[in-house]
Amino acid sequence: MTLDRLPPDWRRYYAKHRKAVVTAVTGLLYVVGWSLGFLADAALASAAVLVLATIVGGYDIAKRGYYELRSRTLGIKTLVTLAAVGAIGIGAYWEAAAVVFLFSLGSYLEGRTMRKTRSALQELLELTPDTAIVRRDGELVDVPAREVEVGEIVLVKPGGKIPVDGEVVDGESAVDQAPVTGESAPVHKADGDEVYAGTINQDGALEVRTTGAGSDTTLQRIIRRVEEAQEAQSPTESLIDRFATYYTPAILALSIGAFAVTRDAMLALTLLVIGCPGALVIGPPVSIVSAIGNAARNGILLKGGEHLETAGKIDLVAFDKTGTLTRGETTVADVAGFGVEADEVLRLAAVAEKKSEHHLASAVLEAAAERDVAGGRVETDGGAAVEATRPGGETAITDPDAFDVVPGKGVVASHDGREIVVGNRALLADEGIAVPDEVADYVREREAGGETAVHVVRDGTVVGAVALRDELREAAPEVVRSLQDAGVRTVMLTGDNKRTARTVAEEIGIDEYRAALLPEDKQAAIEAFREAGHVVAMVGDGINDAPSLATADVGIAMGAAGTDTAIETADMALMADELTRIPDAIALSKATRWNVYENVAIAVLTVGLLLAAVLGSVVHLAGGMLVHEGSVLLVIVNGMRLLRY
Amino acid sequence: MSQTTQFRVLDFDCPTCASVVERALESTEGVESAAVHYTTGRVEITYDENAAEPATLERTIENQGYTPQPA
Repeated sequence: MTLDRLPPDWRRYYAKHRKAVVTAVTGLLYVVGWSLGFLADAALASAAVLVLATIVGGYDIAKRGYYELRSRTLGIKTLVTLAAVGAIGIGAYWEAAAVVFLFSLGSYLEGRTMRKTRSALQELLELTPDTAIVRRDGELVDVPAREVEVGEIVLVKPGGKIPVDGEVVDGESAVDQAPVTGESAPVHKADGDEVYAGTINQDGALEVRTTGAGSDTTLQRIIRRVEEAQEAQSPTESLIDRFATYYTPAILALSIGAFAVTRDAMLALTLLVIGCPGALVIGPPVSIVSAIGNAARNGILLKGGEHLETAGKIDLVAFDKTGTLTRGETTVADVAGFGVEADEVLRLAAVAEKKSEHHLASAVLEAAAERDVAGGRVETDGGAAVEATRPGGETAITDPDAFDVVPGKGVVASHDGREIVVGNRALLADEGIAVPDEVADYVREREAGGETAVHVVRDGTVVGAVALRDELREAAPEVVRSLQDAGVRTVMLTGDNKRTARTVAEEIGIDEYRAALLPEDKQAAIEAFREAGHVVAMVGDGINDAPSLATADVGIAMGAAGTDTAIETADMALMADELTRIPDAIALSKATRWNVYENVAIAVLTVGLLLAAVLGSVVHLAGGMLVHEGSVLLVIVNGMRLLRY
Repeated sequence: MSQTTQFRVLDFDCPTCASVVERALESTEGVESAAVHYTTGRVEITYDENAAEPATLERTIENQGYTPQPA
């Protein structure tokens, strides 16, 4: 068709809406031709108009059918073209026009609805502003956001979108992080806090030191992950695809066979029309793509449809305690000295722990700075991060001369010719150090209150203990309860001793707890649950418990927005640090599993009934096409319900 | 030198259409591999930059009757 003589904007409009225009014109001609058929002496005119409708509507379909054949694919467009040509050949003009019209209408609607699911991600892409205000050589300049260099300072005005990933260096504000983490409430950001490209700065001006720009931002990583997930086939999908490759040739053979036996051309052509298992092939992917898209909008990243299908079967959720059920903000609750000052106990512990990366170490160092136990400044180099500098009082905790971590037990260090051991009972037993009764009583008492106590040993003598507390997350009891209500067993895994673990477990109302576990024990526990026939999800931070996450059927990493490894490796990454997302994610997975089954059922029933009705000559060409297209639309619409689940 | 380029096609209306485009791209001069995803509409093409260029690849997709957009 040459459109060159039309004005350019008409041409553009036509190119964009070709399908709609063609469908509408075909429909119009079809109605005219069909109406003419009722006039006594207009049979020829009616036939002519109907053939014209078939040609107008069928031109694009035939062209695509030809491409299909050329690339050796037996697709629906080939079959529809054959059916239309065949129908005209046997003088069934009305059916030919009806098939073509119904097919173009159906595929136009399918294309439109699928476009909706496909452009959901596009919307995410458009969240990042195009330009950033950067301070260069003391001047403020507008530069394209993707050209901002790492380390440059970006200025974000109130109400503006943040153009890069970075760290706040000046100003404070509330930031709406919903686009990235799915958190509905704005998050307060000040010095040192991480901000993400695509989030919305609400009320204060911020200066941000860039840590990532362009395609190297958390949002871009999320988008890539979501796309990969949507493109990965789940086991159900690949099963159906394998089935589909045999189904079409089988129906084609049936069509030829039926014609040979019955000489009923109409029957053979009708079989052609239903020879494409459209709804069956399209249904499950639409369900899964919609669910993955919905999850992403709520800050839940899934690795693929496979994990969604598995997550729908979860019947046991294991939680790592620290940082998952608790806030992961360990603080020193109490220091007790036995024979020495409490401050001295804290100082010894701080020296020993200074180079440790354990979460208890940073709590000890923070308390040491707070209490000013050495009258100087805490310096860290690659060890625990300490953000406790008080004006006027800064602590100089000196480095240990030697330092050795005993995983799951504590540290052994030496300083100034003295040996310092900081650790739990197991470590003291290993080192052959006796614990005096009064210390043991103190430790037991703190543990009964849900705290973790570590012994501090100087040259083989226990001189004190430090009690540490990690506040429970408020949502923990409610999350555990809602999982239990959904018939899911809940288990807490922790390296803490039994007494501390029991207190915490009772407080949360969790079904079961396993205490005093080393990292490899956690992995073994997950393995054991799986061998007992459970489908196991493991929830952790995705860094320290990566092995257990990998062992579980579904590894769930929490608060993953800031950690690329968690985004890359977890089967399910919760961007926000919110426990409540877990029951949501499991419920969505269950709904998705059902939705896939519904779609398969709709498709199989349609194909079965249609086949029976066609072979029984109850349904003919146009009716067959109508039901076929109707079922495809039905599964798409059903799958898309998950977008709003 | 191998180069990779991406397009996005929002108007695939059936999984077969995507595989047809994939095959058309694979048989285009200079294309080393092509992946076309029905679900997301993403088209990823690896080609030899001495033998093909994005504009011709875009035309290949257009010739199959689809509208590629830059991704």
